[in-house]
Amino acid sequence: MSSSRDNILKAVAANQPELLPLPQLPQFAAYFDIPLLKFRDVLEGIGATVLSVSGYADIRNHLATHFDLTKPVYSTIAALPEFALRPGSYSRPQDLHNVELIILPAEFGVAENGAVWITDEALPERALPFIPEHLAVVIAEDAILANMHEAYLQIGQRDYGWAAFIAGPSKTADIEQSLVLGAHGPRSMTVFLLKMSGSNPDPS
Amino acid sequence: MSKTAKDHAGLAADFNKDPERVSWHDETLWWVRAKRDKAAQGIPEWEALRETASGIKAHTLSNLSAYLEAFEKAAIANGAIVHWAADAAEHNEIVLSLLRKAKADRMMKSKSMLTEECHLNDFLKARGVETIDTDLGERIVQLLDEPPSHIVLPAIHRKKEEIGVLFHKHLDTPEGSADPQLLTHAARLNLRDVFLTRNVALTGVNFAIAETGEFVVCTNEGNADMGAHLADIHIAAMGIEKLIPKREHLGFFLRLLTRSATGQPITTYSSHFKKPRAGQELHIILVDNGRSVQLGREDFRSSLKCIRCGACMNTCPVYRRSGGHSYHTAVAGPIGSILAPNLDMEKYADLPFASTLCGSCTNVCPVKIDIHEQLYKWRQVIVKNGYSGKLKTASMKGMAFVLSKPRVFNFSGKAGRWVLKHAPFIVNNALNPWYKQRDMPEPPAESFHQWYSKNRGKRS
Repeated sequence: MSSSRDNILKAVAANQPELLPLPQLPQFAAYFDIPLLKFRDVLEGIGATVLSVSGYADIRNHLATHFDLTKPVYSTIAALPEFALRPGSYSRPQDLHNVELIILPAEFGVAENGAVWITDEALPERALPFIPEHLAVVIAEDAILANMHEAYLQIGQRDYGWAAFIAGPSKTADIEQSLVLGAHGPRSMTVFLLKMSGSNPDPS
Repeated sequence: MSKTAKDHAGLAADFNKDPERVSWHDETLWWVRAKRDKAAQGIPEWEALRETASGIKAHTLSNLSAYLEAFEKAAIANGAIVHWAADAAEHNEIVLSLLRKAKADRMMKSKSMLTEECHLNDFLKARGVETIDTDLGERIVQLLDEPPSHIVLPAIHRKKEEIGVLFHKHLDTPEGSADPQLLTHAARLNLRDVFLTRNVALTGVNFAIAETGEFVVCTNEGNADMGAHLADIHIAAMGIEKLIPKREHLGFFLRLLTRSATGQPITTYSSHFKKPRAGQELHIILVDNGRSVQLGREDFRSSLKCIRCGACMNTCPVYRRSGGHSYHTAVAGPIGSILAPNLDMEKYADLPFASTLCGSCTNVCPVKIDIHEQLYKWRQVIVKNGYSGKLKTASMKGMAFVLSKPRVFNFSGKAGRWVLKHAPFIVNNALNPWYKQRDMPEPPAESFHQWYSKNRGKRS
């Protein structure tokens, strides 16, 4: 126990005002008709590519025609075993720096802001969504929630080590407010909306 | 922080020597403000979000000691190591001791206005530790050997041509190139090497959750995550006011933050850090540095609700035309002007006066801080404490005397009208800054009081 700890807590307790109540949290319905369409619009508006697919054959076709699959490409999705990231194929996350494309499953998406929710529960390395040149995410079409309140309701008290909302490719506008895609993370983000019956892709 | 002893007006005059840059700065920030308006107006429940977020913060501040203890307990249970720093010096010493323990003389840092407030980079540099800022805007100002001029857009005061020259010198980009795409790519390649070779990453914190012990870091570039997920040691530095009680409260704050900042619906990355990854150390430094004092100032307490979106800067007619450096403090603009006097009332006595009190800052604040009212209240505190400068104090005392004595007031009005009419040079001279870029109107022949007595007074 540091003395600073006790001093800070003492000063805060002495200076904080009378207890004010925590406000009732209002509920908000979606302000748009179809969450799936809103999700697509917003994501495209922030620089992602959104594709409706009816199965993994469609996904494979798109990957083969849009990415250089001779370069390192990995996925944690069981239905894409050819891209499996085998344990022991790297020793440190830094070794993944030359990866061209990562394909990850996302648990759900948020229509109002185009974000997808990814946790480290199905991620062998937290750096995976950030370190590749390109990121692709597979998400079930029926897993699009309206807003952030629904998102946190879904997340609830879940335990994870690390988790993130990811909305579009890495970007910056730090030079004269000119938008440039591809700051430090992926230069592109492709989101596959999976129409298949059943729901989310199983992680391997 | 500034190398000179100039006050806001003096530093603003320096910025105003380049009118074209001022116009560009003004228009660019107004454009960001317009994007914020569009995003806010697209959400029917926007005002309810502000109201609720403000209420959550007010509640948190009223129970902060308990929430700090709860956060500490949960964070330790998650496997993090929690440190407490009473002030900037202690914060800096903690970071240095962690670096020394790891035998590291190099560190990568994502955006943290707290470390700017603590002057961490200079402190570490003097002790042989090199810090690389990984946010592009922060890297630009670091290479320029300048502080950030805006909390969200650190290099907004610089033109792309200047950055082209800078990157040609430091990153070997082609001479004369000022293409943002090319310059950003050069920085990406250069900083990629930093990410892969540094072992200690420091990040800021946007929100910390008392019930879960996790914290959230928001970036568009992905630099906080690149650093934290590759380094063996992650240090997260946060002011004690960053706490919110529950995870579900993030729904309100994340909806407000980026829409208010840049008009985006959310930052590209909103990362929730709860536990260190296997083999990694996670350190959280809880920093007071004057915050507990501000908490005790009833009139200024709510400034601690700030979520650092920068909306008050983008909308401020003074900030847009004076530039962030004119505030000579880490957090510039209206919010910085109510935070800084708490840290050093004498040094920052000029800042609450760097405002027109138009109230636009208050209107855009996502957590409804009454910024312009606090600016006005700080002026009174500063004058009362004798920090307002001899000239301003004397003229304010003179004004108070005149306004409290009707006969003196009537005489002063007459004298003023006479002077403006017959001897305007007495007031319009270099000693009176009011006349910079301004002229006084023609003085009226009579006062309102005289006019009223003549025209209306008799009828009643």
